[in-house]
Amino acid sequence: MIAAEVRTRSVKAGEHLQLLRSLASELERAMDAMSRNDLQEFEDSIASQQDLSEQLSRLADELSAASQPTYPLPSQSADSDLMHEIRTATGELQRLNFRYSILLEHSSRSVALMASLFTSFQGQLQEASGPGLKHQTWSCQM
Amino acid sequence: MGGLTTSLLTGMQALNATQAALAATSNNIANSNTAGYTREVAQMSEKQEQLIGGTVVGGGVSLNGIQSVRDELINLQIQQQASQRSEADTESSSLQPVQNFFSSTGNDIASTLSAFSSSLLQLSASPSNAAVQESVLTSGQNLAQSFNSTANGLTSAQTTADQQVTTTVAQINSLTQQIAQLNAQLSPSVMTQQNGGTIEDQRDQLVQQLSTLVGISVTQSSDGEVITTGNGTPLVMGGQSYNLQTTTGSDGLQHVLDSNGNDITSNIQGGQLGGTLQIRDHVIPGFLNSLNTLASQFATAFNSAQAAGYDSNGNAGQAFFTVPSGTTGAAAGISVAITSGSQIAVSSDGSAGSNGNVANLSNSLTNALPSGQSAANAYASLVYQVGNAASNASDKSTALSQSILQLTNQQNSVSGVNIDEETTNLIRFQTAYEAAARIISTIQALNTATINMVS
Repeated sequence: MIAAEVRTRSVKAGEHLQLLRSLASELERAMDAMSRNDLQEFEDSIASQQDLSEQLSRLADELSAASQPTYPLPSQSADSDLMHEIRTATGELQRLNFRYSILLEHSSRSVALMASLFTSFQGQLQEASGPGLKHQTWSCQM
Repeated sequence: MGGLTTSLLTGMQALNATQAALAATSNNIANSNTAGYTREVAQMSEKQEQLIGGTVVGGGVSLNGIQSVRDELINLQIQQQASQRSEADTESSSLQPVQNFFSSTGNDIASTLSAFSSSLLQLSASPSNAAVQESVLTSGQNLAQSFNSTANGLTSAQTTADQQVTTTVAQINSLTQQIAQLNAQLSPSVMTQQNGGTIEDQRDQLVQQLSTLVGISVTQSSDGEVITTGNGTPLVMGGQSYNLQTTTGSDGLQHVLDSNGNDITSNIQGGQLGGTLQIRDHVIPGFLNSLNTLASQFATAFNSAQAAGYDSNGNAGQAFFTVPSGTTGAAAGISVAITSGSQIAVSSDGSAGSNGNVANLSNSLTNALPSGQSAANAYASLVYQVGNAASNASDKSTALSQSILQLTNQQNSVSGVNIDEETTNLIRFQTAYEAAARIISTIQALNTATINMVS
């Protein structure tokens, strides 16, 4: 029974690692899509991120439950290399998440400004070279 | 008669207008790879119809001028983010050499602290062995030197940043002077109806460069662009530039003054200058403070352990380390006070062959210092702080580069936009960003679950 529980925990830890890597890959994809202003791909990536996050949350709950086993498990209940890989993947994901949050913060601000400009300005987004005409565009932004 | 002349005139006007449009297109193509070039378009309008001999005759086409297609809002965003990226880049590049002082080289504090601990372990086994005693003395000297070289390295990095301030201020002044000259050329009295697209492109390029040097705010006035630092210090007002100055402050560092001589050093943010000042005045002093605290508390704890015992000559233990009073300069000034291994307080009672006090000496390395951590852990925390600061600066720079790329792509596609479509897309972007922000919180929460799992 103990061996079975250890095996189950290792399998789940392996799944967890795979999901962490997939989520990291999705964050990269989302950032790339944002850079290219590829809205469709960005939205697709967010949908995948939501799905992966849900799977990870569910798996984390299951692993928490498995950490209080029926039988006392050996302290090293899962492969130490696997644990090391999970730790590395988590670190990488957190780093990407940090970068992603900064990018979102700046992009959100830009898009909010752009949105207010577009909704308040119904003309052509063209501006003449003369200082006078340039002035008009600036007042629209304000 | 009138009909033929009118037709000829109309034809000529059309030809002129078309030639101008062709010239603009040709110019656009020629400059398609020119950095900072803004696409130009010929602006034409229909001339008023005329009534000639009872017949309405078309007025032809009139060339109103060549206009540059630009979006100042995106320009502004790019300027602001370029400024922040430059600040992050400066911090990142300044922290790279700092990281080297903390990397494991064998002479770093972690290694020499570990070697010092090992030598004390040997001393416990052979308290009367003169060679082992000398080995402890040498290890202590190596540890003190590690503190010295790390502190000197940090001070050297601070000096490098300080020298950079003067250079950057000179670059800022050069750019603001050039921008002011272009502003003067673009003033309405000089320009009248001429096309200023090329001059504006040059000015935009210079403003972009300026924004990478210091955080700026750009507004428009009737005389042209007004550029100030983020805190409102004027740099350019129309055709007039205002030079920044530097002066050596009472702390021995370069301070930045506005054109009236006011010290604005602490108010400067963004760009290379903001990053340099952040590193010089906040980041490195923070590391130095932690290092000094560690050196001071460690030396005090070890000296206390020495004082609790007796050396091989039966004398009360004297201070092993000399460290400047207070924490300032402790890491740079720490040195070994004793001159012989026999002066190490190995004995707890002064009897020959006793090793009763070696445990106290060893414990001073593992027990918590007043900071709450052992010497090794306090140093590990400092190394983490250094690595984390460098990593955060680098990540911030990467994220801002992507954001700038996004804005640049948007800027390149700004002409001929469909307002309705763009508005819809922007709303979709906003919704997507909100969803993405929720995921970020989820990922942060997942980290805790994973850590619990692997710990």
